[in-house]
Parts: sequence; structure tokens; C-alpha cells
Amino acid sequence: MNYLRKKFYEYYLKAEIEAPYRIERREFAFLFFNESTMKRHISFKNKEWLLRYLKTSIPAHVYYSSAYYNNPSAGTMREKKWMGADLIFDLDADHLPNANKLRYEESLERIKEELKKLLSFLIDDFGFDEKSISIYFSGGRGYHCHVHDKKILNLGNQERREIVDYIMARGLDYSHVIVERSIYSKTYTKTIEITPSSPGWRGRIARGIISFLEEVKSMEREEAIQLLKSFDGIGNTIAQDIYDGLDDRRMELIREGKIDQMAAIKRLLKPLIKELAVKLHSSTDEPVTADIKRLIRLPGSLHGKTGFRVTRVNLNNLEDFNPLEEAVVFGEEMVKIDVKKPFKIKLKGNDFALKEGVVKVPEYVAVFALARNMANIF
Amino acid sequence: MEFEICQIARYPFIEDAKNWVKKEKIDIQEVLYEPIYERARARAVERVEQALKYGVIKEKALLDEIECMMEIFSYPLARLIVAAVESEYLVRRYALAEAKKAYESLKKEETGVIQKIAREFGIEAKDGMVHFSDYLKFAPTWDIKWKLVNRVMDKGYVELSNDEICRLIQEAIRSKIQNELFYMFAPPDINKIFGELISKLKNKLLAKEIKKVEGISEKDYPPCIKNLIAAIKSGMNVPHVGRFTLVTFLNAIGASTEDILKIFSSSPDFNEEKTRYQIEHITGKISGTVYAPPKCATIRTWGLCFPDELCKKANHPLLYYRLKRRKNELSKEKIL
Repeated sequence: MNYLRKKFYEYYLKAEIEAPYRIERREFAFLFFNESTMKRHISFKNKEWLLRYLKTSIPAHVYYSSAYYNNPSAGTMREKKWMGADLIFDLDADHLPNANKLRYEESLERIKEELKKLLSFLIDDFGFDEKSISIYFSGGRGYHCHVHDKKILNLGNQERREIVDYIMARGLDYSHVIVERSIYSKTYTKTIEITPSSPGWRGRIARGIISFLEEVKSMEREEAIQLLKSFDGIGNTIAQDIYDGLDDRRMELIREGKIDQMAAIKRLLKPLIKELAVKLHSSTDEPVTADIKRLIRLPGSLHGKTGFRVTRVNLNNLEDFNPLEEAVVFGEEMVKIDVKKPFKIKLKGNDFALKEGVVKVPEYVAVFALARNMANIF
Repeated sequence: MEFEICQIARYPFIEDAKNWVKKEKIDIQEVLYEPIYERARARAVERVEQALKYGVIKEKALLDEIECMMEIFSYPLARLIVAAVESEYLVRRYALAEAKKAYESLKKEETGVIQKIAREFGIEAKDGMVHFSDYLKFAPTWDIKWKLVNRVMDKGYVELSNDEICRLIQEAIRSKIQNELFYMFAPPDINKIFGELISKLKNKLLAKEIKKVEGISEKDYPPCIKNLIAAIKSGMNVPHVGRFTLVTFLNAIGASTEDILKIFSSSPDFNEEKTRYQIEHITGKISGTVYAPPKCATIRTWGLCFPDELCKKANHPLLYYRLKRRKNELSKEKIL
């Protein structure tokens, strides 16, 4: 048995797996070491059978369906008979701009920021109870968010897509969010009214504009103008006008939600909204969240390409959660590996910078390096 | 709150209508054959004809209880007629027309009435707030202003005006009536009474479905377009870009909105109102921008390209169409 598989076996022997709700209604799917085809259409009548399967077949990746089926082990969708599905959000570092330039630890931190935005949308806008939301570190480069709520159980693809569009600000039309008003006093002035206390996108955008302008005001003139000029459609003159116009009286009005003479504000909107939206997927045609029959990693299982455990994150503990400590399940025992590709990683609080060649490392580093295919066992 | 007979007459699809009919102990045979129900039968015919002709059923002034009664009975009769014609097109058009009629009346009702009818369709509307899950089931989100992202939502509840709640109910009514009619079989008695109308409608709708668009030659479509049409007709879920390709292509070769609608109407999840809106958006009738069909390279990246021999000579589906058309016309001449 190869080393990785053996380690996974040892893990599954004692693993505490969190069985999904209504496990008997879910389809399971597995990928094995050195095999490229996925084994699908498997179901388990309870957690014990699932655990037994994990111990005997030692999969590299374990997935289950977000959907509930009448007959989850049937080979076709028609025979499976879809009964409903949880809502799943997949936040992956791949969805970030410049993802490949970020270090692993950095990208995980950035994704955490996206996760916080997502949680605010789910709780404040969609009104989901915190109890119905579960967060997991994916074992790879991101987090999964599961929403289990009877209100959304029966929503179809189209309706789920609307939820995703909401969170990603896709199709957002400013004229529905921002109220423009012409006011007459001596001359006509066009004002934009924004209400920071409004619910939903309206309030989010208002708060976004206000805090952005606060930030601009607090900056040095040169720096602020540079920042403003980085927006599409804002040139030197407009940038100067915005910055110079931000006196205390104007700022006071802005905080109340009144923005006058600032047609240029509209130019800030698009990039600001982009910042406020959650980066759920990279391409618009990816059907991930909206898909009512997708597969998701099983919490408590191991990710075959990292050896990390899919780990539950306590909502109140999100800030302190460090996946590179808490999702590392293997031991300290020293193992000799032959590094093929040099790499750096910080695991369990220890920095490792490995060069090519044979080296002794703790088991948890060995598993990671082997799973990433950056080393062989020596 | 129980509805009065005149309210039931405006919303003959609600539970109270069924209960009222039960209470009155009048059966369908009586309404079909008794001379005193002639007015109900005439109104039933009117409902179907108006639905087909105008896409909406006009409201009728109901002056007394008897007129209300006739109005109520005309509804199940109209449904039986539609079912007897056995045309999907008519079912869709009729369901939409009934729903629009109800919407027009609902808009004028007090909040309490709107709430009660909303509740019948599982829409809980409190103080102008509707839960997003109910909203998403019925809102025409293909229209930008109905997209959830353009709505004010707080703690799961979407803010809506009474009018907008009525619009949600309209969609709920439409889908209810349509689903019911798709699975309804008309008893043979219907043909005895309304036989003439039914066969007239059958012929008319059939002719409409057969009529080929002049000047458009389907056999000359490039394989990508043929594939898309086949996929839509067989009920496969064609991605947005595929629908876009098809609509822009058909528009470019001179097909009308109606012609294009006809192709989509065979798709099982066809929603006439939505599809019409989308087609008119792409063909510039709403947006003012006429979108051109994508070129071959784009279609290829979308994974919709299934080239044949002639495709080698074309870099655009329209060019393919012209080439093939010319080729076919030339060969025709030779034969002649």
C-alpha cells in the first residue's frame, strides 16, 4: 500500500465524520488514488455504512450530493427523483483576481474576507438563521458554505441563480438602487440620495460610497488623486474636484446620504460594487451554486490533493480559524521524503522551506508534500 | 374572510369558487345542457376566443347575482373547451389571458383581498413584504427590474407594492391554470355542445402551426443552428448563448418574433411572455440594439459548433446560409 493511502487509512480508522443531514437520501461519489474516473451513484443507509466504506476502500476524495433523492443510488437523474437540495456556496482562491500570484496562506486569508461578505449577505439580506449555516474549510484553497433551510429546499436552478446573482451583484442596475433627484433652489442641482441605513444593496452601496469618500478625505492630496484617477472615467480634473470638494460640511451631508454635484460618484459605483460583491466564481457560466444536483466534499473527509481535513469552522470563531493548523490531522513522527519540487509552507505554526533532495520532515508535512505531488517517500 | 359571489366571479379559480359550486349543488351536465345556462356557455366561448385573439380576457360588468353565477360557470366550461382543442399553444395563451384578467381586477382590490388570494398560492404577503423564496418562485426575473438584486431585501423579505404582489399572483395563477390544463381531458359531452367552435379552433391552430414562413429555407441552416433547433424541440436545456445564437440568426434571415417564438414554444418549459420579451430584447424591439449573430469562432468557443463540409468555406453562420441557399437554388435551376 502506498504511503499516502496508508496514512488516509489510519485516519479513517479513527475519524469522526459528520454525517450529512438525511444521509440515506444523498448520493455519494468517490475518487481513488491513481484512478481518474469517479465512482458515483452510491448511497448509504446510515453513517456506520459510510464509515465502513471509507475504511475499506480508502478514497482520495469523498463527495456527497447537495440534493436529496428518492433513490440516490440510481444511475440517472430521472430514476433518482430529485426531492430538494441544500444551498451550497463554494469560495475558492481560483475565483480571486490574480489568484496565481498569491501565496497559499495569503489566498486563504483573502477568501476568508469573501466568506465574511457572504455571511453578511446570507444573514442580513436573506435572513437565514445562523444555525442553518455551516462553514467548512474545503481542504484545498477555500471554504464551503452550506445552507440548510426548508425555505430554499425546493428552489430550482433558475431561482438559485437569482440568489447567486444577488450576492455577486450580477445584473445590478444602479437606477433601482440609487435615487437621483433634481432639486431647485436658485438653480437646479442634481443630487444622489443614498441611505446608509437601508437594507440590502441600497444600504451596502451607500455605506460603501461613504467609507470610500472618508478614506479619500483622510489621504494626502496627491495620493488621493492618484487613487481616484485609477477609476475608469475619472481624469485629473474630476479627481481634483472630488478631493477638493470634500470639506467638513460636505462630508457631513455625505454621511447623511446626500451627495450633490457629484456626477463623478457614479463612475465610482461600478468598481465599488465589485468590491462589495462576493467573488463566487470566476466565469459567469459556472453553474456551481445554482446547480441543484452538485456534489460537495464530505465534512471530516480528507482532501486527496493536500491531505487536509474538510473542517468545520465555528461562525463565531471565523477570525481566529487557521486552516493550516486546524485542518492538519497527521502526526509529528519524522519521515524521510525526496523533494522533487522546492516549496514553502507554514503548517501547525512551523515554517518549512524545503529544497530538492532527501529530507526528514514530520509526517504531516510528508503527507502534504506527497499529496501535492511535490515529493516521494524515500 | 369569505368572498362574496361577485368576488368569486372575478377569481373563479380560487378555493371559494369550488366551495360555492359544491354548495349550490349544480353539476356540469346541467350547465352544459340546460337552456337557462346559455349565458354561461356564451361567456365561456367568449373567454376562449378573447384569450386567443387578444391574449387577455376582458372584464365583464356583473350587475346582479345571476350574472355573477353565469360568470363563475363560464370558467370551468372555458377550461373544458381549451382542453378539448388539445393545443399546447392555446393552453398557454388561455392560461396567460386568465391570469392577466385576474391581475387587472386584483390591482383594484383592497390589501386584505390581495393577501387572501396570495395566500392561496402560498405567497405570504405581510405589510408589503414577501419572503424571497416565494418571490423567486413567481417573479418574472428575466426582466431586469424584477431581478432579486434590484430589489430592497431585508432579513429575507422583499419589499413590494400591492401592484407588484398582484403581478406575482398573476404568474402563480398562470402556472396553476396551465399545469392543470396540460393534464386535463375533456369529456365527450363538450364536443357535443361546443363541437363547432372546437373544430374551428383546431383547424385554425393547426394551420398556424403548419404554415411555413415564406422566403426562409430551413434546410439551408448551418449545422449549429439545426442542432440548436433540434435541442430546443427535444426539450434539452440549451444554454443562454445557444438561445442567443439562434434568435440573432433567425432575426437576421428575416424571421419574425412570432416565427421565432414558434420554435421555442415546443420547449417544455416554454413561457411565452418571457420568451417574447427576450426575443424582442435581442432583436432590438425593446432595447433598440439589434444584436448580430455571433461568428463561427465564437460559436466554436461556446461548444455549439458541429461543422460539416461547407463550414470550411464559411466563417459566419449567415455566410453558410447564403452559400448553401445559392448552391441549392442553382442546382434547382439545372434540374428544371
